[in-house]
Amino acid sequence: MKLRAGFFDFTGCEGCQLTVLNLEDAFFDLAGLIDVVEFREVLTGGGGPLDVAFVEGSICGPHEEARLKDVRRRSRLLVALGACADTTGVNALARFRDPEDLNGRVYGPGAPPRGGGRPKPVSAVVPVDARVPGCPVDGGEFLQVLQALAVGRAPNLPGHAVCVECKLAELPCVFDRGEVCLGPIVRAGCGARCPEGGDRCRGCRGLVDNPRSTPYYRILEDHGLTEDDVLAEFRLFNLGEGKVR
Amino acid sequence: MRLAIHHLTRIEGHAHLVVDADRGEVTACRLEIVESPRFFEAILVGRHHRDVAPLVSRICGVCSNSHTLVSLAATEAALGVAVSEQTRDLRRLLACGEILQSHLLHLFFMAAPDYLDLDSIFPLDRRRRDLLTRALRMKKVGNDLCRVVGGRPVHPVTPRVGGFSAVPEPADLHGLRRRLVAMLPDLEAAVDLVGGFDFPRLDRPAECLSLGGDDGYPLMGDRIVSSAGPETPVGAYREVIEEYLVDHATAKFARTPRGAYRVGPLARTTNAFGALTPMAARVADALGLGPGATNPYQTVVARLVETVHWVEEAILLIDRLLIRGVVAEPPVEASGPGRAVAAIEAPRGLLIHEYAYDDQGRVVAADCVIPTAQNLASVEADLRASVPGFLDLPRPELARRLEMLVRAYDPCVSCSTHLLSVSFEDGGGAG
Amino acid sequence: MADRRVLPEPLWLPATEVEIHRLVRAAMTAYEVVGARERRGRLTMDRLDDPSDLLLSYPPRVHSPKKFLFPNWEKLFRFRLGGRVQLEAEHTAVPRVLFGLHPCDLHAVRILDDCLFDGQADSAYRAKREASILVGVDCEPDDHCFCTSLGTDRVADGFDLFLHRDADRYLVQVGTARGRSFLERFAPAVAARQGAPPLPLQPKKTRKRLARPAEALVGLLEAGYEHPIWTEIGDRCLGCGTCTLLCPSCYCFTVEDRLHLDLEGGERVRAWDSCQFDQFAQLSGGGEARANQADRQRHRFFRKYKYLWERYHRTACVGCGRCSRECLAGIDPVDVLNRLLAEQDEAAPAPAPGREYQPDLAEVVVAEPLGAGVKRLRLRLPRVPAFAPGTFVSVSVFGLGEAPFTIASGPGDDTHVELAVRAAGNLSRALHRLEPGDTVGVRGPFGNGFPVDELAGQDVLLVAGGLGLVILRSLLLAVLSRRREFGRVVLLYGAASPDAFLFRDDLRRWRQDGVIDVRLIVDGSDGGWCGPHGDVTRLLRNLDLDFPRTVAAVSGPADMYRFTNPLLTGLGISPERIFLNLERRMKCGLGKCGKCRINDLCVCEEGPVLRYSQVRHLREAVER
Repeated sequence: MKLRAGFFDFTGCEGCQLTVLNLEDAFFDLAGLIDVVEFREVLTGGGGPLDVAFVEGSICGPHEEARLKDVRRRSRLLVALGACADTTGVNALARFRDPEDLNGRVYGPGAPPRGGGRPKPVSAVVPVDARVPGCPVDGGEFLQVLQALAVGRAPNLPGHAVCVECKLAELPCVFDRGEVCLGPIVRAGCGARCPEGGDRCRGCRGLVDNPRSTPYYRILEDHGLTEDDVLAEFRLFNLGEGKVR
Repeated sequence: MRLAIHHLTRIEGHAHLVVDADRGEVTACRLEIVESPRFFEAILVGRHHRDVAPLVSRICGVCSNSHTLVSLAATEAALGVAVSEQTRDLRRLLACGEILQSHLLHLFFMAAPDYLDLDSIFPLDRRRRDLLTRALRMKKVGNDLCRVVGGRPVHPVTPRVGGFSAVPEPADLHGLRRRLVAMLPDLEAAVDLVGGFDFPRLDRPAECLSLGGDDGYPLMGDRIVSSAGPETPVGAYREVIEEYLVDHATAKFARTPRGAYRVGPLARTTNAFGALTPMAARVADALGLGPGATNPYQTVVARLVETVHWVEEAILLIDRLLIRGVVAEPPVEASGPGRAVAAIEAPRGLLIHEYAYDDQGRVVAADCVIPTAQNLASVEADLRASVPGFLDLPRPELARRLEMLVRAYDPCVSCSTHLLSVSFEDGGGAG
Repeated sequence: MADRRVLPEPLWLPATEVEIHRLVRAAMTAYEVVGARERRGRLTMDRLDDPSDLLLSYPPRVHSPKKFLFPNWEKLFRFRLGGRVQLEAEHTAVPRVLFGLHPCDLHAVRILDDCLFDGQADSAYRAKREASILVGVDCEPDDHCFCTSLGTDRVADGFDLFLHRDADRYLVQVGTARGRSFLERFAPAVAARQGAPPLPLQPKKTRKRLARPAEALVGLLEAGYEHPIWTEIGDRCLGCGTCTLLCPSCYCFTVEDRLHLDLEGGERVRAWDSCQFDQFAQLSGGGEARANQADRQRHRFFRKYKYLWERYHRTACVGCGRCSRECLAGIDPVDVLNRLLAEQDEAAPAPAPGREYQPDLAEVVVAEPLGAGVKRLRLRLPRVPAFAPGTFVSVSVFGLGEAPFTIASGPGDDTHVELAVRAAGNLSRALHRLEPGDTVGVRGPFGNGFPVDELAGQDVLLVAGGLGLVILRSLLLAVLSRRREFGRVVLLYGAASPDAFLFRDDLRRWRQDGVIDVRLIVDGSDGGWCGPHGDVTRLLRNLDLDFPRTVAAVSGPADMYRFTNPLLTGLGISPERIFLNLERRMKCGLGKCGKCRINDLCVCEEGPVLRYSQVRHLREAVER
């Protein structure tokens, strides 16, 4: 029985939807697994009941909240697709600025506010059945989550940190280059793509379930870094209100 | 009568189309941009130059590589960093990959259903599996170009200020070259397909802006070329491009002193037809696209012509990289203060980034001018021009034609709203 | 099947670096060749596409051969769904050469062998193991290596070929018949070469070292289960699992199903897991067996240095340093273990090397002749551990050596022991020269004596010949200290002459007190003796004991037992109830030196007091 699936985008860059469309090798298998009945970016039509809704982007303002609630009502399962939907992603950065100041800087001082207010993760508005973390999502992980839903299994995300994938890929430790890396506390599943590409882990997949923050802060101190440094880093993709705990 | 289409489909981002007509006269014609603004430029303020490219990449998933590349170019110019020839070639290759994947996505997933009388491409998985297989195979080559050079197709990892943090393996480049060469039959099939499209007629000449100063076809030049005006250095872009607010959009519109203008594939083929590779020029010829094209529906053709062009260019780029040998280069140190502008031809057209950095290398001000935002006024002008000719059509057909017109620009609303400019302190900004 | 028998004769063949690379090139025609190489600017242990990529000299930073012998993500079998479920075996293993493994990693393969071939062998591992040719190469330890502490810096076997660097060439040590045929096939010129003499191997140096040999760690950890250090390192640990994932001998895994996207089939795969991860030891009812990082770190250490040592007699750590090298929190096993060792030393400054051979110093308190060339020595010690009568101490005269002497005094005095020493050799003669106040060395008491408690409630028959009285005196003193618990006590004591009786004062007193029945006999004729003549067996006649409830303790020259044993059993005393003193040359007292063995029985551990039933089948004991 094929799942009736819909893809919905809210405030975000659509890179996660694009990543799904980039699954060229799995395209026909995917078409065998689900009937895409709603996907505004590449499909005209939709509106009926769904088995699974993939929601991309953060939720800004009453219009988006209403649209999301409608999707939730129509769909048996709802999946937060990507960092913006899951943890507010880069949109979270706007949460640390004064909204009037932001609006003023962009549209001119005193201009009436445009847009919908502070971005929220999907789970702050409606219940979420599963999530695919990352900015953008990992295509393979998206398929695994989808498959789990198709066979009626609760999808499980890796519980270990990015460090594991770094070591498996025989990558030298980013800390050895004197850079802050969020790898020790951030959820694996990306294949340590950023350290592999010579960058550091910037935490787009969110924290592991049980981050060891005390030892982590100690390591940062050993490297001459402060909690503020890591919060600034962490907030690139995460709300991170309060401590990284 | 009023025609309102909410949440236009098969475009990137959210927009409504509203047309009011009274006795054959169009009284209002608006593309309402309803996507929430994300205040990227404001968010950038205070960030270190190392973090700018990864952040601006998130403006748009579809053109994340273009945002990355142009932000690096602007940052490097601001901080006085010169990059190597290898870096320049790899960046061109990365840009190439993005243009290919974006153009092919648009051709097959967004535009083709209109001309095949479908709601989406998905039903083709049984009916025209061959066609879909070809489309996916070609698109994958574009994505793999990005993957090999940038680390992944969406939001690249390896490009950084001064160069790349990781360079491709020669074996991977060899593999890509083979697949680019093998793409030619698939491209021929695409030419056959597009040759069969019945484009609505619309003749609306418009000013076209594109980059100049490249060796060949526009990609990363340092001058803005106009079909109707003089060349301008990109640093002086404000002399030709004025951004302005309209009430019905969260995105900013733009105009030259002469009014609305086009950027993107049709603008580029118009301004630089002579720089197309011979094969691309032959395809243009076969599909009836010339340097004087005025029908915006034909942007779809221009996109295919560019696809052929960049496949050829990518092969040449890879050859050059392989002959010289790809070596890991040490990171280049950059320091502020500084301020500069850079531009790139993103898949949808001219993309400009401008940054000012303080002496700590942190962003003081940032501005981004987005292709889709530049096209919005032109889209509205096209709609205005086409509606009278379509008013006799049944409403659904009228709606379809107007949607096809908007779609032909491949608008990227995500981009256009997510970038809004911040005033430069000296008052030279647009905000 | 490949012949991995170890070659009977060592074979060392010289080869140039060029020849080694040619060997790799040739082998690539038939095998997948894996080795250390650079890829994207970093070192990895990986498949070679080009033989010239192979690095033979590389720092110990790459993955271990586990990556290929026990890979992460290994298909166990495939299944097809849809209609009837079908199971299909995984394909056979790829023939592979692991080229250029460091000695520590070759040791690690042995640990994997131990663990994975134990019981029902893991066939997925076995397939890869058997399809892999192992070629070792010498290494340079870095700052994290501590192989020298575990004896893994060198490797004598466990490889098919091993490349030793020798100035500007290599010496190829052929380890197995398979290694030889591999060489014959792919480097015939090298294989045909005249064998060279083995290279004298220089000891390696590592900066990191364990303060004590590996065998000390079992006891150390045993005692340190509750030590606060586990909480300390648990608090530092990020739980990232790097230590175990990179460990060349850690093999814990998880098993899961991977469905194909079309849901029509899939495979069951195993992937590396780590005891450091959350949920590794998750219980089905919820909760975790090792819920905090301290427990998990302790578990890792105990696995490495205790549990597997107890099973396979080698540490499951080869000192490769991968865990500490890559640990962001800087948890280093050498630091942890050395700290525990140092604390143990502070608490009980014992186990210096050879400590068990080092005697305590004792002062001679009494030195008096007992007659017949025997001298009584009373020694004062810092402390005498509780001992049973019949056990012995090893007495040293420094410069002359050490010899065992059975204890003549009774148990219960925790600062003194008495010995009766006959001047027979250099050492005993030196003991005879001692004066009160002199110092000797004493180790022990060692061995197994009389089970005094078991004797209680019975009649006790003691049979002594000559010096044999010494240990029976100890027993008698023990019995007399709790006389009422015993039935009749009879001592039969024979000597060569009347003046050869030892401890006369004691004998006289016992006789007078009537607490025991003392019967003496002198062998041979001596005018001054009015008692019976003959050997001690004569005294065994006319005994009126309740023999079925009598125990006998017999001590004398070996010849004596040959006669007393049949007589005693003839009287009705069962062999289980006859205790014999079977002193031998108990040199070390620790069950190690082998000098005191009676057939396979170790006297210093199980004797010198033994039941006749224990030794009657031993040809060397009595019957000889």
